[in-house]
Amino acid sequence: MINKFTFFWVFLVLFSFSSIKTLGQSFTSDSYQIQFGNFNMTGGRKTSDTFILTDTVGQNTPGRFTKNGMIIKSGFQYAYDINYKFSFSIDNLDIDFGSLAPNVGTTQTNIITITTPTGHGYEISSLENHPLTTIDTNSTIPDTTCDNNDCDQTISKVWVEDNIHGFGFNAIGINTSGVVTDIGTSNYFPDSTYFRQFADNSNNEPAQIFMSENQAVTDHSAKVTYKINVSTNQPEGSYQTNISFIAVPKY
Amino acid sequence: MANFNLTISPAQIEYLLKPGVTITQAYEITNNSSENIYLNSEVLPFIPQGNNGSVTYQNITPNPNITFSLSNANLALGQPFILAPNAKQQLVLKIKSSSNTKLSDSYYTFFVYQVQGQSSTNLPQTTGKIGSHILLSLTDTEDTKASGEISKFNLTPKIKDVFFTPLKFNGEVKNNSSFFFKTTGKIILTKNDQIVKEINLEDNNVLSNYYRQINCQNLTNCTLKPPFWPGKYTATLEFDKSLNIPSSSISFFIFPISPLIILILISLLVFIPLKFKKYFSKSKI
Repeated sequence: MINKFTFFWVFLVLFSFSSIKTLGQSFTSDSYQIQFGNFNMTGGRKTSDTFILTDTVGQNTPGRFTKNGMIIKSGFQYAYDINYKFSFSIDNLDIDFGSLAPNVGTTQTNIITITTPTGHGYEISSLENHPLTTIDTNSTIPDTTCDNNDCDQTISKVWVEDNIHGFGFNAIGINTSGVVTDIGTSNYFPDSTYFRQFADNSNNEPAQIFMSENQAVTDHSAKVTYKINVSTNQPEGSYQTNISFIAVPKY
Repeated sequence: MANFNLTISPAQIEYLLKPGVTITQAYEITNNSSENIYLNSEVLPFIPQGNNGSVTYQNITPNPNITFSLSNANLALGQPFILAPNAKQQLVLKIKSSSNTKLSDSYYTFFVYQVQGQSSTNLPQTTGKIGSHILLSLTDTEDTKASGEISKFNLTPKIKDVFFTPLKFNGEVKNNSSFFFKTTGKIILTKNDQIVKEINLEDNNVLSNYYRQINCQNLTNCTLKPPFWPGKYTATLEFDKSLNIPSSSISFFIFPISPLIILILISLLVFIPLKFKKYFSKSKI
């Protein structure tokens, strides 16, 4: 019994004299002293051919904590979850059709590309200011109604006939090599023969979605094909409109 | 060749706000292109559309008790600005709610869009617009009571084979409360009371008094690829307990259809020549 008491007191005395090493940091000037309880060094996601390691070095109480449906991910290692930003690009803004020959469908293309953050899909919609119109004479090239007069801004249909006139577009998902994948666009355009109108803002039509996915994506692209076919009666002139491509994440 | 290449960060913000509170949120806009870009900004209210996270901006009356402005010293909402090539601009959005704001959700998108008319040519011209969603819950408590129900949970196809039919789970959850919540939950697949697989759901938002299709983590279209062992399975869709959503289960059978067909074909291939051989040897006699 005495041995146990002696040991306890010896331990207590020795412990009280031992120095406790702290890992804090402080900076001082003539007027201020700033003390840091801990010194954060590094963290994040490291990969090799065979491993993925996420770590947090320096920060107090890093980890994944859950309670009552709430999840807290504390530490740099979780920062990559939200590091993917929302990006959208259009590779060519000016669509120049040059001189149009009557009864011949003329096309031009550009490529749109999107990247979304973790946990978010996306949708891209389009809207034209007004149908293609000349500034001076106010002549218009009407929006296409496709081969069987059955497409509009919400529905795509086949448009291949040379005697069907108008202005419309098609969008087809492609990969980084330009190979058709239909990803993102197959619900809107079954193939490259399908076209639809742009929603007409001057007619109070809301922008219409033509490309979307429900999961996060990186650099998903679509080739947008613009098509014009005019009749022999179409007045000469320089026709123009503005087409807006609107990209938003899925909430 | 003029192009548009813009990044906005963050892509979405979600706040619980006490009525009367003002908050600020910094957005970073990056011009990834190699030329100047002429931009403008606006905030539009949205309502959900469809069941997969789509939105619409049509026919919405904005909540007059929530107002937006930019805190930037030299910039206001709706004021055009130029962003140099590969440059970043921080836009600090101030969100102000009045003290008499109704306790409920309001949803907006903060848009940054290209100003028209950069090109001097008279051509059909395209412009880009990029948005970041703002989900606001006006509440006087940080613990908003969620309540909801599973409005749909099924599995396709109807006839399931061990080798050739991927299993696609279709689920939809309805939010019966005035505040959005996340689809924190999982699909548990059991066979003979043993858990075969647990599929975690994506934390998608279900907006107030609206519904949302479930999405699975690391599984495109919530589709499990074969092969499967034959037998009776039960799939249970369950959500985090705090959401107060009763779970839903479905039972189904996976049949060894393709192995049986192969066995029958092999049997026929063996049996028919034998039968013919017997027939011909009989007719010879």
